[in-house]
Amino acid sequence: MCVGGVAETFWSLPFGGKSTFLVRATQDLPARGCPTSGLRRVQAFRRSGSPTRSCGGFPVAVAAAATSQVQPRAQWTTGLKMAQHENLSVVLYEKNDLRLEKRPILEPGPNEVLLKMHSVGICGSDVHFWQNGRIGDFILRKPMVLGHEASGTVFKVGSGVQHLKPGDRVAIEPGVPREDDEHCRTGRYNLSPSIFFSATPPDDGQLCQYNLHNANFCYKLPESVSFEEGALIEPLSVAIHTCRRGGVTIGSKVFILGAGTIGLVNLLVCKAMGAAQVLICDLSLNRLKKAKQMGANFTIAVDKNTSAKELSQKVKEALGGTMPDISIECTGAELCIQAGIHATKSGGVIVMVGLGKPFANIPMLEVGIREIDIRGVFRYCNTWPVAIDMLASKSIDVKSLVTHRFPLEEALKAFETTKEGVGIKVMLKCDSSDQNP
Amino acid sequence: MSENLALVVHGPGDIKLDKRPIPEPGAGEVLLKIHSVGICGSDIHYWQHGKIGEFVVKKPMVLGHEAAGTVFKLGSGVQHLKVGDRVTIEPGVPRENCDYCKIGRYNLSPTIFFCATPPDDGVLCRYYVHNANYCFKLPECVSYEEGALIEPLSVAIHASRRGRVQMGHKVLIMGAGTVGLMNLLVAKSMGAGPIAVCDLVQERLDLAKCMGASAVFKVEKCTCPRELAQKVKSSLCGMPDVTIDATGAEQSIQTGIYATRPGGVLVLIGMGPSSTNAPLLTAITRELDIRGVFRYCNTWPTAINMLASKKIDVKPLITHRMPLEQAIEAFELVKKGAALKVIVLCEEQQHQQQQGQQQSKTLEQCQQQCQQLLQQCQQQCQQLKDQCSTGR
Repeated sequence: MCVGGVAETFWSLPFGGKSTFLVRATQDLPARGCPTSGLRRVQAFRRSGSPTRSCGGFPVAVAAAATSQVQPRAQWTTGLKMAQHENLSVVLYEKNDLRLEKRPILEPGPNEVLLKMHSVGICGSDVHFWQNGRIGDFILRKPMVLGHEASGTVFKVGSGVQHLKPGDRVAIEPGVPREDDEHCRTGRYNLSPSIFFSATPPDDGQLCQYNLHNANFCYKLPESVSFEEGALIEPLSVAIHTCRRGGVTIGSKVFILGAGTIGLVNLLVCKAMGAAQVLICDLSLNRLKKAKQMGANFTIAVDKNTSAKELSQKVKEALGGTMPDISIECTGAELCIQAGIHATKSGGVIVMVGLGKPFANIPMLEVGIREIDIRGVFRYCNTWPVAIDMLASKSIDVKSLVTHRFPLEEALKAFETTKEGVGIKVMLKCDSSDQNP
Repeated sequence: MSENLALVVHGPGDIKLDKRPIPEPGAGEVLLKIHSVGICGSDIHYWQHGKIGEFVVKKPMVLGHEAAGTVFKLGSGVQHLKVGDRVTIEPGVPRENCDYCKIGRYNLSPTIFFCATPPDDGVLCRYYVHNANYCFKLPECVSYEEGALIEPLSVAIHASRRGRVQMGHKVLIMGAGTVGLMNLLVAKSMGAGPIAVCDLVQERLDLAKCMGASAVFKVEKCTCPRELAQKVKSSLCGMPDVTIDATGAEQSIQTGIYATRPGGVLVLIGMGPSSTNAPLLTAITRELDIRGVFRYCNTWPTAINMLASKKIDVKPLITHRMPLEQAIEAFELVKKGAALKVIVLCEEQQHQQQQGQQQSKTLEQCQQQCQQLLQQCQQQCQQLKDQCSTGR
């Protein structure tokens, strides 16, 4: 594996219990046409100091980044001129093997921008990929940068980009359709099967210092909206899309199952849409306390022994004998799915946001007899502009969702913290010169 | 007036022909002389099990809810009907103007009266009293039998509305019993196509083909839902926009979830077990809408118009006609699965007068219908061949 350009020393720390490797780029530059051009040649040593396997006289790190991007020499050289900026990235190699490593900084192509990343939130899906190596049919097959809740500053624009210039502060919509198919033409581009999506295999995410993205999916942030709020637009978008699908409107009675980030952003959006009563349930009393502070009318504590019917009964009692028009299921847990169906009024809607096991036991007979609509939700579409307006006009306050901040270098600690579930949103700060919200 | 002979369920497995009093119509009601009543799967279920879900037969109950008859006597205040009018009956009558009624979804009204759902009596009898607002005049060109079939037709109209079936939509229908076939007719009349139909029984699929299904699939109990979904996709040249489940079976619901295109709709009509193991993750990541359907609302006027203008022909679904005196035999026939739609003729003397005519008429009608259906099949085959050859 070879690299062209100026040699430099750098290091990478694999996580997840594997040995620490020290990795150093060599000085040799490949000739054009070298079958391994575009890949990084490195020298690797185990922690004990003994070298690893070698190739062509140069020890090669088994664990070193092998980028799959084959680039023309010119671009590579340009990238490396910028290499002193060092694109530190959080890369998932396989289940339980998360590493911080330096990756190349790429040139923006037509209609692309190169962003200097500022704030990236860690999502439950990032943690899930880290722990399981897959979510459903999305399977990690090669190293992938994590993170998709991001904001940053435009560093460089590619050709054809009119609406952004270097220095612009932007929020990033991670899902970018690759082709103009029927779903895109009908406005539901989130369902486009070939869509690019940050940090869903095989597409790289944004937990790095420099990231390329389609310019049409980067939205300028007004001065009054912070970078962290910009990063939170992603989970907020899940809620906007969910509440739209659920038909939440003035006077709605809504039951939200789960008071994690997604449950809480749904609470905020429901209130902003004029819902009259919002109930929320969770296993954690701390989360319910937070929900109450954020405007929930009722909170219901659930424990492992609560049955689906019992939970739905508590909801009815809390609403004085009536039933919610809309239930928003944010946990993916079978018990909650069942409870949500039992709780929803006849002719009402249950929106399924939480992703759980592939199969669930559903009381379909009840769904039929009471004419309940079950609506699936997958990511979002057409939400960033609305979210920005809501944040700019202070109609929604998401700032208090951020409970922990870590510099990018402490990514593992950040992931461990998220996994423990001690806070709500853990934010990684990618710009060493600006660690503010 | 003759006696009011009625088919009554007393408990699980126990139906009898009882003599009941002839009721008097109250204010806003009409007394009807019932003419034709269709037997529904739910009637059979109440007979066999004495309950459906939480509706339990606790006292003897007259069965039947798919009916048409003649106005015999008017209650006070009834303006729009007169004695002798031929009417079709909407069996669900709300008892109070609740929130659901106010938004036009009266089928969901919790206290609704519904023929042959315990404890409310049905229409399998000679004389029956009903709310006049829920009796709709039949045009001359629409027969009593068609009037009786408006009930299952209404299930299909309501399901297609809930599913937002539109022209150009590809549709998959699971189940080719009466409800499945009615959905086929309604979907076609709404301009949907191509339409695929699945069932366990070959004869039903043959009828579905004759009634306009573009593709039919015979399903076994062990058929893999994913594979079936793939076959449907190939035959429709794409995933269906709407899937209508008329079975309630887990296998069908799973097939529906795998088959329906992202952003599409799965409509649940069939009533199955209380819990279904469903590939929910697939449904969620494809943003499917799964919509339950319960009976119908605001369908009778539409159905009458469609039948009167001959846009829909429901008559091929009728396979047997039997007098009320033979109702128990009729129920046995339906239970065995040997019939599609059985009509019970409830007017006394009717069967004596018409028996001779009816049988030969039935035979002649059958022959004519067969001939028509054969011609339609041949035309459709030719069209499909032409389409294939032009590469469409």
